[in-house]
Amino acid sequence: MIGRDGITGLVALAASLVLFYLTLDLKPSPLVPIGPGFYPRLVLGITAVLSAILVVQDFLARRRAEPAAGERPNYSLVVTCFAVFGLYVGLLPWLGFRIATFAFVAAFQALLDPPRGKRGWLAVLATALITTAVAYYLFEHYLLVLLPRGRWTDF
Amino acid sequence: MYELLLAGIQNVLHFKYLGPLALGTLIGVVGGALPGITNTMTVIMVLPFTFGLEPLQGLSAMIGVYVGGESGGLIASTLLGIPGKPSSVATMFDGFPMSKKGEPGRALWLGIWASFFGGLLGGVFLIGTTEPLASLALQFGPWEYFSLFVFALSMVAGLTGASLVKGLLSGAIGLVVTVLGNDPVMGQTRLTLGIPFLEGGIPFLPVLIGVFAFAQIMSDVERMGRGRRAAEAGFATPKLVVSHAKVIWEILSRPVMLLWTSFVGVLIGVLPAIGGSAANVMAYDQAKKFSRHPERFGTGTPEGIIASEAANNSNVGGSLVTIMAFGIPGDAVTAVMLGALTIHGIQPGPLFISQNSQLAYGIFAAYLIAHFIMIAIMFVGVRWFLRVVTVPRAILFPVILVLCVVGAYALDNTMANVYVLAVFGVVGYLMVKGGLPLAPLILGVILGDQIEINLIRAIMTDANPWLFLTRPISGALLALSVASVVAALWQHHRQKRRTGAAAPAEETADF
Repeated sequence: MIGRDGITGLVALAASLVLFYLTLDLKPSPLVPIGPGFYPRLVLGITAVLSAILVVQDFLARRRAEPAAGERPNYSLVVTCFAVFGLYVGLLPWLGFRIATFAFVAAFQALLDPPRGKRGWLAVLATALITTAVAYYLFEHYLLVLLPRGRWTDF
Repeated sequence: MYELLLAGIQNVLHFKYLGPLALGTLIGVVGGALPGITNTMTVIMVLPFTFGLEPLQGLSAMIGVYVGGESGGLIASTLLGIPGKPSSVATMFDGFPMSKKGEPGRALWLGIWASFFGGLLGGVFLIGTTEPLASLALQFGPWEYFSLFVFALSMVAGLTGASLVKGLLSGAIGLVVTVLGNDPVMGQTRLTLGIPFLEGGIPFLPVLIGVFAFAQIMSDVERMGRGRRAAEAGFATPKLVVSHAKVIWEILSRPVMLLWTSFVGVLIGVLPAIGGSAANVMAYDQAKKFSRHPERFGTGTPEGIIASEAANNSNVGGSLVTIMAFGIPGDAVTAVMLGALTIHGIQPGPLFISQNSQLAYGIFAAYLIAHFIMIAIMFVGVRWFLRVVTVPRAILFPVILVLCVVGAYALDNTMANVYVLAVFGVVGYLMVKGGLPLAPLILGVILGDQIEINLIRAIMTDANPWLFLTRPISGALLALSVASVVAALWQHHRQKRRTGAAAPAEETADF
């Protein structure tokens, strides 16, 4: 069975080969002797070779010993956190910085440490409100960064 | 040189610069005291606040964070037995036992004063060597630059992580990131995958922020709900009263060890992309080897604390040398600083010190003054900083991520950089899970364009490829690259034979 390194190597190998193939369309430049495709091909070739070595190493290592089973990390929480962040980034231009950030901070907090009772929820909402207000005020008023306004909300 | 340094000190002592420097140092100390929050994370959080400042103001704040962070990490290490960050792990070996023996004040202040003296020794090296090294680098042609960057990348790949192949692969992936977009010489579009944004290439700061922030936060999230609350539970503040004269004498009465471990820290700092954690552990190891009583190490001996803390602060000086003389970041924190400089249109490298002498000497001055500010901050607030470890991660993480988003967005007020941040956040986390170290990736992203530009310049000047080997400095640097790869191979082989373990060791990225 293929291991962690083998999967890493195969993904990197596939990506580098696809990109290498795309470099074949690049036309040579009359001014530069080695052209715009030379360096990418060199880098992608090295990446492909290293990826292949990693796959072979993993294959040989697997034959010698099986890895010890460890404690299983909380991947479902990680995936959910990434999804919430993705939603935040995706909705930021539509909702605007203030609404999106308030919702994100509250949701992320609630996800990592589910609030208990009314007090818990109040603390989550207060943290989200303070974070949003302080960030908005500091960046817009002191540091002159124009934070995104929402296309839907105009806020 | 001394006139310029004196002018730099006078300049930085103006409130305009002293304010950001003091605030940065305070934030660094607090960030350092928080277990799991590294200097890179803290400096990433501070980055967006520096965009609207003058270059020296912004860099002063970052240097403050760097110096404060290296010192702040020892608070939780010595008093709670929880390393504030990777670069204070070895401090804990003797700091915590000394605290448990009823001397928490002595343990803490030995670390703080050792950080101070080690940092100042690092400053002497920084000020004394940056200009000569930059002058040497001025003689470099494109062949030498190409070879220097290849050497930096090969060395980092060999030094980080448990596998040379993974280190090299990570560096190569970093180089691949830089070939997406227009080619840097003729501007011809290549490998944009039909995405118009990629035509301008991928900016390295959102990549760096995304990779490091998510790799760390999500690795912590994985373990949430598995006993993390214990570390966040309340505790009684220990008595920290101590005779400072006695503590200072304890450090200065060991001048050889202080000098040697500070030198080890500086050397580790000069090596690209390996930072405080390696300096901390290696200096501890050196102090133990040279000690007349190595058996006392790990039981609360002052040498262990002094060596590890002197080294991780002097390491900052070494890291700043590399970026100021060669334009190569010494670690992730200086990589963020490099980004901050480029935002202001300043290119670090051999010409930096001669073209921006006021800024360069301002940086030297800020580095030195930050150590005095750090001591003052510790005097006033060390008890409060100890309380910082009780701040829940559930509050910290979303706040950090919001600052990362603002930092990426504020680079040029576009959402495209935020999308890059999100994509590379996932990439960084997957790389950590795949066992690939992050430091070579970042160095690859930073140096990729320069490697290509210098390769093409060299070939356009003279098409003879043997010049890379026959020009003395270039040839020596390439030979060193090969030597570093061979040395890493030998070291990994020896380690494998010693441990006899077939299962691969988990990588520990030097964030």
